[in-house]
Amino acid sequence: MRKRRFTSLQRGGLLLILGILLLVTSNFVDELRSYQGAQVAVYLVAISSIILLTGYSGQISLGHGAIMAIGSYAAALAFSLWNISFEFAILFGMVVGTIAGFILGVAAARLSGPYLAGTTLALAVGLPTIADQFKVLGGEQGLNFDIGDAPGWIKRFEGSDFTQYRWFFWLMTLVALGVVWAITNLLQSSFGRNWRAVSNNPVAASLAGINVARAKVLAFTVSSALASLAGALFGILLGIVTPSAFPLTLSFTILTGAVLAGVGNLAGSIVGAVVLVAIPEFSGALSTHLGNSQKVTANLPGLVTSLLLIFVVLFRPEGLWPKKVWKRSRQLNN
Amino acid sequence: MLVQRRTNRGLVVAALATALTLIVSALPASALTIHRQDGVSASTITLGITVPLTGAAAPGYNKVPYAMQAYFNYVNDNGGVNGRKIKLVIKDDAYNPVLSKSVTNDLILKDKVFAIVGSLGTAENEATTRFVNDHGVPRLFINTGFSGFANTSKYPTTYTLLPSYVMEAKIMGQYIKDNFAGKSVAIIYQDDDFGADALKGFAIAGTKFVAKIPYASGSQADPTVVGKWISGLAAAKPDVTIMFGVSSASAAALGGSYKVGFKTQWILGSVGGDGTTIASVAGPTAVGLLYGAIGTSFLPAPTDTSDPYVAQFQAINQKYNSGVVFDNNVLEGMNTAMLTVEALRAAGSTLTRASLMKAIAKSGSTFASAGFSPLGYSSTSHIGYNGYWFGTYGPTGAIKPQGGTYTLYTTDSASGAVSKTTSTRPAMPEKGLPNN
Repeated sequence: MRKRRFTSLQRGGLLLILGILLLVTSNFVDELRSYQGAQVAVYLVAISSIILLTGYSGQISLGHGAIMAIGSYAAALAFSLWNISFEFAILFGMVVGTIAGFILGVAAARLSGPYLAGTTLALAVGLPTIADQFKVLGGEQGLNFDIGDAPGWIKRFEGSDFTQYRWFFWLMTLVALGVVWAITNLLQSSFGRNWRAVSNNPVAASLAGINVARAKVLAFTVSSALASLAGALFGILLGIVTPSAFPLTLSFTILTGAVLAGVGNLAGSIVGAVVLVAIPEFSGALSTHLGNSQKVTANLPGLVTSLLLIFVVLFRPEGLWPKKVWKRSRQLNN
Repeated sequence: MLVQRRTNRGLVVAALATALTLIVSALPASALTIHRQDGVSASTITLGITVPLTGAAAPGYNKVPYAMQAYFNYVNDNGGVNGRKIKLVIKDDAYNPVLSKSVTNDLILKDKVFAIVGSLGTAENEATTRFVNDHGVPRLFINTGFSGFANTSKYPTTYTLLPSYVMEAKIMGQYIKDNFAGKSVAIIYQDDDFGADALKGFAIAGTKFVAKIPYASGSQADPTVVGKWISGLAAAKPDVTIMFGVSSASAAALGGSYKVGFKTQWILGSVGGDGTTIASVAGPTAVGLLYGAIGTSFLPAPTDTSDPYVAQFQAINQKYNSGVVFDNNVLEGMNTAMLTVEALRAAGSTLTRASLMKAIAKSGSTFASAGFSPLGYSSTSHIGYNGYWFGTYGPTGAIKPQGGTYTLYTTDSASGAVSKTTSTRPAMPEKGLPNN
């Protein structure tokens, strides 16, 4: 019997229905969970950008936090200095991040392995501190990126107690679902096939007529577009954009999420995102249990993350996503 | 073909899982409610504070919340506030506005604090304003002098304690005019609203600088940055140098100038003038660096045991904060805690956020406190002190008022003149326990 195949439109419709279901569900959760849900959505977009780059095109980036910073600063600048609406500010942030990604991608196409990792790492270390050099970027105090409350029509529909975090949950969840839809389509297109071919065997891909360098640059550019989108959303969630919001550890955190997800496994990015948000929560509870010592509280999240990472690398290198589903995905990818 | 179908199915599963996981992340469910009176039970009042316990700005400031906790424990052991014990939840923000936002979220949404007290930093408090306002959480006696917080429309639940940095800079500018006329002056300042406020005050006072050296908050821990400060100063050769930053930055500046033998008359702002902190950052030999420097303060000198507030707080510190050196940070923490207790008492036994803010508006100006200038709280003002005295650091690093007595100077945050002032400070309540 022929199994049903979903078209792009059907998948989009399905995601829309699920999005609406999510928004309805948000009526029954408290504000903290709304905030954490928005965090999960932002991490989901950021981890997807890494998975697309590393898992599907075989390029390593340790500097996606810097691309997020570019998207975030560009969006915040557009919003706070030029007074454009937040939707266009996000779009502007994406455009600037995409251009930066393209430029970096051209350089990245000539590099591989540790050289590419080193280059992107340098970007993550150096780029956010540039903000301290230019007054227009607000220095260490940063730029305001408070987009305010939900639009009036939502508040009229949902009531006046529709909080800002709930609004963020709506906004970021819908964007994340949109990203998932876009990536699934992209990975099934000739672009996705080219990336997988380049990742698995660049020589064979080249002999098959694929322009390897172009495929790599394109992957880096698309990945940067997603990272800058994540950065813009991250800025909105924080309400401010400062250099300290994009430390080196952010790049590692996203990468950690991707490893936990199983690099090369888009479905696993959800697990990665949830775990990243859950770690501080879990650490906080454990720290309270251990007596709330300041040293324990400060170091426990890092310890938990490191242990989890070691566990995954040793025992579940394919990621935390249920093995059966992942195996199927791997078969497909191969 | 089979592969393609499975691809579709796998990706749809992924999409479904995305949505479902986001739902799950939002559970467990509870009705969406903004709790206006969180943090008060029949037996407890839960308060919160954000402060740098780690990072470059932590030295000194990391003592403030524990001094507050010590005072609250003392009050709790003596019956609490209207029968309720005070619990203080301390959160580390590493002097980072982003972290400050995050931990303030936790204080309000997870720890359900009734009010935030003594939270430190200009940028840090600005970053959390929107969230604090949205939830109507009183933010009492915050540890910043940014003049912008005087805007009660923008910061309706925020109360500052320090005189504004504009006031401090104006008073300092007048002092330089009176005592160092014709001398060249330089300034090192924190490059955010904290420093911007200072520059505004100096501009009003007419102070001209031969060198203005900004630094990013936190960069004082970088020796290269400090080296640039000192080379900048050495090039400008100022007779007088103002340090308008936190104490760890003062320590870096003094230590850096000592290393290269650069000499100037240092004037330290009130925020960055704690001798104990400077010594702890720059090392014990740094105490000598302070000798002869000029400082400002609105509280009595922490070594002045003849002051009844200092004496009482020192006694509490000895018993409830054992082993911690009593310095300006401890004094400030205990003073803030005492004001908090007075505010809570004034709000009565039916404690609500509204009753607390109403009580401060009504009687906040009469609260007993260690500061020499009167408190300015009223229905239209959320600003605490408005005056400073000048002192000189001795060979042990202790500051003593110039001329042997505390001479208070006052002004406003606008273009008003600087003048000497006197006022009668309310007496320290018996045993340091408020009785208002």
